[in-house]
Amino acid sequence: MPEASLTHEFQYSSARHQAETAISGMWLFLATEVLFFGALFLTWIYSRHWNQAGFDAGARRTDLAIGTINTVILLASSFIFSAGLAFIEAGNTRRLIQCCAIAWLLGIGFLILKFGIEWREDFSKHLFPGPDFAINGPLGGGARIFFVFYFLGTAVHGLHMIGGLVLVGWIILRARRDEFSFRYYTPVCVVGLYWSFVDMVWIVLYPLIYLVGRGP
Amino acid sequence: MSQRFRSLLLAWVLLMVLLAIEFGTSFLPLDRSARPLVLIPAVLMVAVVGTIFMEVGRGPEIVRLFAVAALLWLSMLLGLGSLDPMTRIDYPVQAAHPR
Repeated sequence: MPEASLTHEFQYSSARHQAETAISGMWLFLATEVLFFGALFLTWIYSRHWNQAGFDAGARRTDLAIGTINTVILLASSFIFSAGLAFIEAGNTRRLIQCCAIAWLLGIGFLILKFGIEWREDFSKHLFPGPDFAINGPLGGGARIFFVFYFLGTAVHGLHMIGGLVLVGWIILRARRDEFSFRYYTPVCVVGLYWSFVDMVWIVLYPLIYLVGRGP
Repeated sequence: MSQRFRSLLLAWVLLMVLLAIEFGTSFLPLDRSARPLVLIPAVLMVAVVGTIFMEVGRGPEIVRLFAVAALLWLSMLLGLGSLDPMTRIDYPVQAAHPR
């Protein structure tokens, strides 16, 4: 938490009050996001319960290697952004920029793997739940529902990633203009919370999509 | 700074270990209905990210309130939402005979 900034807006009693309000506001927003994604996770619970075999047949058609690499990438990105925050707390703007740039590049890498490679493969294998869906027979219905969850979940998460990348880029630009110091870095904290939350959502999506349905 | 960096690094290593456990357990010969147990390491990973990367313990009290409220609402959503599929008993329907 930033200790103090030099100035504050008129509606706050102090710079500390302003910083705490910004951070609390982001936490409140994230609490609503938990419910947003919670509804998605509930559809998984409900749909898989009634279509276990079809869901598992769908999960076995996903690309485990790309999913796992993407998980490692996102965890690394979140760690590196948090390290950048620790650096600016110590007043090291240069290291903050470097950490944010690496976190941003890892985020781009995630999107390329997910949408540039994995989604393209999924479409070419006819795994999009449309008229020429690849899995037919008694498991077809459950597998279709699984792939609706897969495409919806990864698309919504991807949109959040794009929003996060814009925010991380904004932090890099502001840091390059020397707008942060050990006395003022509230936006870095706020964006860091969002970036880690996007990581958290993927931590849950990863086993739901790639792991639960796999196995011998 | 180095203390904070060390704890972040430790958290990242812990996350990698949990990921490896999760990955490994997904190949265990578990019953289909028991397979959601694979999610346990994911729950621990979320807790690590929340406490160390997001520093939920730091900052104003209201941050903890929002975090606890989010967990409470989520547990109500998932708990009440899964009550029906988990408790419903399906009775076989007698096939209709053509006249």
